[in-house]
Amino acid sequence: MSYVDAGYLVAIGGSFLYGLSLFLRRRRWERALTVMEATPDEGAPPAERS
Amino acid sequence: MNTRVTATPANDLSTAITSPAARNWRPRWLPVVGGAAVVTTALTVWLGLWVTPPDQVQGNLARLLYIHPAVATVALYWAGGVALVGSVLYLWPRTRSFFWDRLAASAVEVGAVFSALTLITGSLWGRPVWGVWWTWDARLTSTALLLILELGYLALRRVPADAHIRARRCAVAAILVAIDVPIVHFSVQWWNTLHQGGTILDPGLQVHVHGSMLWTMLLSFVAFSLIFVWLLAMRYRIEVLQDAVGDQELEVSLAERWSEDPELVGAGPSSSGPGSGPGGKGAP
Repeated sequence: MSYVDAGYLVAIGGSFLYGLSLFLRRRRWERALTVMEATPDEGAPPAERS
Repeated sequence: MNTRVTATPANDLSTAITSPAARNWRPRWLPVVGGAAVVTTALTVWLGLWVTPPDQVQGNLARLLYIHPAVATVALYWAGGVALVGSVLYLWPRTRSFFWDRLAASAVEVGAVFSALTLITGSLWGRPVWGVWWTWDARLTSTALLLILELGYLALRRVPADAHIRARRCAVAAILVAIDVPIVHFSVQWWNTLHQGGTILDPGLQVHVHGSMLWTMLLSFVAFSLIFVWLLAMRYRIEVLQDAVGDQELEVSLAERWSEDPELVGAGPSSSGPGSGPGGKGAP
């Protein structure tokens, strides 16, 4: 691999990987928020429901 | 992490951020920006690697200059500028709101990624042209300092504190980060450096790149600027979600596990004990 190819790969690949990590992090936090906004009974451990 | 924002009279937007409308912030323009970023990046690669001619002096290595200056522009001016503006507007009492704090934090994180990419792509160009991966040149050293300052900001942001105190600390830190930006910019004029001067414009604002090389370079600035906008919006959304979840992160994680895996029934905190299942893996 030439220095030129490596440079393009690092710049574009790095941006893509960071974007992917943001996408996954966003999904995780959105799921967390959905769980938090659910009623307390839904979020509580099953053993505590009874 | 104690980052939950409570609504106070001193901060009107904190109320809005925790509202359902703010939590569901999904701008319609974001997919358009993302699509445009993909198209312009693909065009930049095509023009940069296959269409533009090799440079008379540097040969094919000049093709790296369609990427490196654009990445550096994002790291320095876009990310540094947004972080500075956001932090100053947070510190200014009349404009104080967590919107600016979160915007600045998002910009610093994106900026740190692009600072690292700037240093790596610069090294990949410097090795064949200068003969070294790294030298303690003023431009390189000040750029490395920028990355270190950005990492310091991100570390400071993780220190548990009241949301207002954390935002104030981080705003001051972001201003310190931004002070390094003009130092990086003018380093090639203030000191006798190995690094070249302006890529497109010289200090007299004379253009010294022409033809397809100029258009490819300008397109790469557009491409990486669009990438920056997309990444900044994504990161900002995460920042809003983090503050909305706030202190309840641990409880939410546990609730998620309990709701996803029925086998964890009996492994909850109220029933953990000698007979509570294999290893009690759901217990905190």
